[in-house]
Amino acid sequence: MLSLGLILVACIYFPGVIVKVKAFFSGRKGPGVLQPWYDIARLLKKGSVFSTSSSFIFQIGAPVYFSTVIIAGLFVPFEENAALFSFTGDFVLFAYMLGLGRFLIILSALDVSSGFEGMGANREAFYGMLIEPAFFILLGALAMFTGYTSFHDIFANLHYDNYFSVIIAVLAGYVLGQITLVETSRLPVDDPLTHLELTMVHEVMVLDHSGFDLGIIKTANNIKFVLFSTLSANCLIPQSLSLGIRIGIFLVLQVFFAAGIGWLESFRSRNKMAMNAQYILSVSAIAMILIFVVIIIKNRI
Amino acid sequence: MMIILFKTALLLSFGIFIVPKTWKYSLGLVLHIMVVVSTGTWAFESLVNGTQTIALGVATWSGPIELVIDSLSAFFMLIINLICFCGILYAGGYLKPYLPKKRSVFISLHLFSFLWLHGSMLMVTAMRDGIAFLLAWELMSLFSFVLVIFEAQKESTLKTGINYLLQMHLGFALIMISFLIAANETGGLGFKGVAMYFEQHRNAPLFLLFFAGFGIKAGFIPFHSWLPRAHPAAPSHVSGVMSGVMIKMGIYGIFRITSLIQNDLTTIGIVVLTIGIISGMMGVIMAIMQHDLKKLLAYHSIENIGIIGIGLGVGILGRSVGDDYLMLVGFAGALLHNLNHALFKSLLFFTAGNVFYATHTVNMDNLGGLIKKMRYTSAAFLIGALAISGIPPFNGFISEFLIYNGVLHHLPGAGFWMSLVGVAAILALVLIGGLCIYCFTKAFGMSFLGTRRMVDHQEAHEVTPMMLAPAAIIIGMILFIGLRSSFFGETVIQILQQLTGISSPAIMNDVVQSLTMVSNINLLLILLVGAIVGIRVWQQRQVAVRQGPTWGCGYTAGDFRHQYTPTSYAESLRQLVNPLIDYKRHYKSFAEKEIFPPPRTFHTESKDLIEEKTVLSWVHLIVKYLPKAGVAQSGLINHYLIYPLLFLVIIGLLTILNIL
Repeated sequence: MLSLGLILVACIYFPGVIVKVKAFFSGRKGPGVLQPWYDIARLLKKGSVFSTSSSFIFQIGAPVYFSTVIIAGLFVPFEENAALFSFTGDFVLFAYMLGLGRFLIILSALDVSSGFEGMGANREAFYGMLIEPAFFILLGALAMFTGYTSFHDIFANLHYDNYFSVIIAVLAGYVLGQITLVETSRLPVDDPLTHLELTMVHEVMVLDHSGFDLGIIKTANNIKFVLFSTLSANCLIPQSLSLGIRIGIFLVLQVFFAAGIGWLESFRSRNKMAMNAQYILSVSAIAMILIFVVIIIKNRI
Repeated sequence: MMIILFKTALLLSFGIFIVPKTWKYSLGLVLHIMVVVSTGTWAFESLVNGTQTIALGVATWSGPIELVIDSLSAFFMLIINLICFCGILYAGGYLKPYLPKKRSVFISLHLFSFLWLHGSMLMVTAMRDGIAFLLAWELMSLFSFVLVIFEAQKESTLKTGINYLLQMHLGFALIMISFLIAANETGGLGFKGVAMYFEQHRNAPLFLLFFAGFGIKAGFIPFHSWLPRAHPAAPSHVSGVMSGVMIKMGIYGIFRITSLIQNDLTTIGIVVLTIGIISGMMGVIMAIMQHDLKKLLAYHSIENIGIIGIGLGVGILGRSVGDDYLMLVGFAGALLHNLNHALFKSLLFFTAGNVFYATHTVNMDNLGGLIKKMRYTSAAFLIGALAISGIPPFNGFISEFLIYNGVLHHLPGAGFWMSLVGVAAILALVLIGGLCIYCFTKAFGMSFLGTRRMVDHQEAHEVTPMMLAPAAIIIGMILFIGLRSSFFGETVIQILQQLTGISSPAIMNDVVQSLTMVSNINLLLILLVGAIVGIRVWQQRQVAVRQGPTWGCGYTAGDFRHQYTPTSYAESLRQLVNPLIDYKRHYKSFAEKEIFPPPRTFHTESKDLIEEKTVLSWVHLIVKYLPKAGVAQSGLINHYLIYPLLFLVIIGLLTILNIL
């Protein structure tokens, strides 16, 4: 349950820090850290406009997306502190749960019969398909390294007892970071702030969502962000420290992650659309290196 | 008692030809129910009390025919019964428009064949004797052939049917040869002989021969080329049954043979796993390229057979390295996926049939927006689509989860090669899962969502409740498996423990525990979605909700032609997999000085390169050189008289030289 609390706390400031850092680098003061949540609160109270060509899929799409992210959040542990759900192979369900959300949000986009949203839907399906292997290879490597097959057992036993295993920590953290960027549609794969619908991925899919639906989709995105960054933090925080210090490191690390994304988005431009497939596949390739590192460390050759 | 019921049903089936046209269907339905009740009882008894042996009271020259129903047979029998019952229920509505058009005898033949396909599949699972097994196998192929050519007035359908019949007989020949090889060495024709053979000889060659024979029925790549032809040509209830259960008879055969093998496990495991991975990946990639909804589903059968192959392959490898967990759980995933695929695939074919019934087309380029006209059909298709993509809370996830679990559990202790194999299996499953989402968002999105894509689209309407009833039954089962997965996991593992003779309460316990968690989370997900939808309904009552045109990004004159099409949706993947598919685009671009261009057409197609390279290239070669043999057909009687003489001389020479 500790992990759930930490995730919720990190959720509060995570999106705000990104905005703040981006504002800083562009020479503005920027809104308060809580502003993204005020925006969402306002959306939740607003009325909605539905496309005449939409159907019941559009009505259930956003709630299902939101629910899947919430349920997925119940799987994420904080090192040796178990999440609400923990069982053999739980990360498979975690990934497929997010798959359900993706499925429904894609269908909602196709439901409004817009060419632009079809484009976003198509890209989301394509990139989602390309990034999933990286996640599974990474978890497979960690399972090989620790000898366990659930989130909790893996992160509870992720001891970096020799110098070689630092490679694992760094690679795993990096791969998870990249997965985060792709899954949450940030730079360099997708630019959430672009104003050209032709080059959007996630944002263009939800063009026709308004009011409550848009509010919960944005909430879900923010939570998803923190879920993945929590997984990264699990790989990076050394377990030898006391719990209080680790919680402190976790909260600071989340600020760093958010700031890092803000920094990345301020200085980097988006990939060319055609390059994205290669870019995302390279993440899987790096995850494969992780497998070989584990094989070598464990003397399997 | 039950044997009388079973035999009566098969005997009365000839009555279908006699009764008036309007009664034929009802008689067929009653007979199906009789078969379901009798064999279903046997299957349940066998699952509860152990193997049942029932004398059929008929004999071939190798002895009286007996139905031997062990737990594996019982499992497949229950699947067959469920899907065939749903199929005949669905046929009631689907055949209605054909009744006035078709001659009475064709309707009778169709219903008769449907019953006998059902019966012969049941017999395949229960026969242990070689002759009886092959007989049942042949009956199954013949009756399914009759069912495929229901619309034989179309030349393409007839051609497809003959292609199907030939391929089935190739498979039959391979299985027969395999049985004969075993019989030749051991003296026993049948599975007993095969078991004896496997104890004494190397296993890989005979296993692979069996695998090829059964693989043609199952649709493993490269033996798959009949599937994408036969399924679209057959009426939907037939495609549902064929894809749902008939191809599983091939899997049944492979399971049966796998339970007998003794050595060469590593080779066999690697081959099965590789073919499984290739089938799974290529099946779904080809599916994404299709425009025809039923063809798309047919390619998905190949993909799912591939997943079953992955489960089987890792199971066999688990046995070869002595990891009981990997073996039992891998097999369990494969076995359960049979049931799961039978459910969602027949559901998808039935709902695709509804689309055809309402719109007279299954070409996705022409469909779109059906969700507003056919609410229930769309909802059923959506559930099928989610289930086939292996997404919780539905049943497809459960079997894939089992395979993942087996492999992941093995990884920590695996050696170098097994680590690579495990990673390959996981990678394949993940990619298949992702591609499935891609494919079914396309299939559902293009057929049911948005607005219609062709102007001259006929006004569609929802089908009758009778045609929706089978879908409702299947959806019930799909949810039941999703929400009570531990029961099914336990059942398949029990079946496998009986089959393999290895029982381990620890493995059972572990699987039941995680499946119970999965099911509970599935339930929680459904409740949470319900709660959020409830809150949303309440919120929408408080605020102003209105309808408006779709946001056009500043362009207000957009119409249905601006939507994504199946081709454009598949385009991003197409660029990635271009070397694997022979993609062609038919479009004449504008000439430089073309001032008044005439209307243009745009058409794309993709070919199955594996079929092209492995099957068709040989066929082309034969077709090219066979006419050369026509030289012999000179039309001169004196030539024709020489041929028998030559034949006799050669035979004589061979005898003298003692070669023959």
